[in-house]
Amino acid sequence: MLAGRQGGIKMEVRVMKNVLGENDRVAAENQAMFAAKGVYVLNLMGSPGSGKTTLLEKTMQKLKDELRMAVIEGDLFTTKDAERIDRYGVPVIQINTAGGCHLDAPMVQKVAPQLDLDHLDLLVVENVGNLVCPAEFAVGEADKGVVLSITEGDDKPMKYPLIFKESAVIVLNKIDILPYCNFDRTAAREDITTLHPGANIIEVSCTQGDGLDAWCDWLRQRVAETKAQAQKG
Amino acid sequence: MCKECGCGETNGNTRLQFTVHGYTEDSAKEVEKALFGLPGVLFVHIHAHDGSTTVDYQPGKTKLRDIMGVFDERGLEADL
Repeated sequence: MLAGRQGGIKMEVRVMKNVLGENDRVAAENQAMFAAKGVYVLNLMGSPGSGKTTLLEKTMQKLKDELRMAVIEGDLFTTKDAERIDRYGVPVIQINTAGGCHLDAPMVQKVAPQLDLDHLDLLVVENVGNLVCPAEFAVGEADKGVVLSITEGDDKPMKYPLIFKESAVIVLNKIDILPYCNFDRTAAREDITTLHPGANIIEVSCTQGDGLDAWCDWLRQRVAETKAQAQKG
Repeated sequence: MCKECGCGETNGNTRLQFTVHGYTEDSAKEVEKALFGLPGVLFVHIHAHDGSTTVDYQPGKTKLRDIMGVFDERGLEADL
């Protein structure tokens, strides 16, 4: 922080570059730690209500007997999402940001010792529901992913471009209610691929089960690639 | 980036205004798509009729010459 005076008013000027630089440094440490252990880490982002936790629940149903999973849950104040995850017997760590709009790398570094990294394949960090800020703060993930639901509207990729540019995988959720919404699927897909050529877009209905196999296959592939990379050293 | 809460690279982006000569409706659309596809380019707006082209980007991720390259590759002359 820098303190200064202008026109007799005391001002505080936050030096964001340093804040981000420090976050990137810690994120790199986290990333190296996870990579060395062969743990694939996905930073899962999206708006409140987009279906991040529901997608995680369906993912656990399908993969928890096949992959060793853990979840870090970001939430402003509550443990509601962590309680949902806990029902599946998957280790879950709650981070409450106390009003903070995103998780950052030091938060993840602080709780990482609670994870049994030697016996873990997949760690999902469910970020605070927010389509803006989480995209700017790496937490030590291998990939970022974003969940966009049909009810949010097809204009969101162009309105919130950074999160779609940063995400290796974009899950288009609630695809089952397309007939009841004026969501232009073609336009949304085109906007996403314009912003992020080669992006992986997976259409999913968590309630009906559509697309969940493709989603789980994508996760399996990234887990396998991470393990192979760790073995190569 | 986030002006609501003040976090992130609030002023980390650069907005440039080009005047590009020689657009057609089709080439303007093509340029728009190519610019959006560059890393760090978050906003593009083109008026094909007068060549006005606005690009908002993160200089740490994309160099100005990469942006100029999009125009050059299509034989378009761009003034800043």
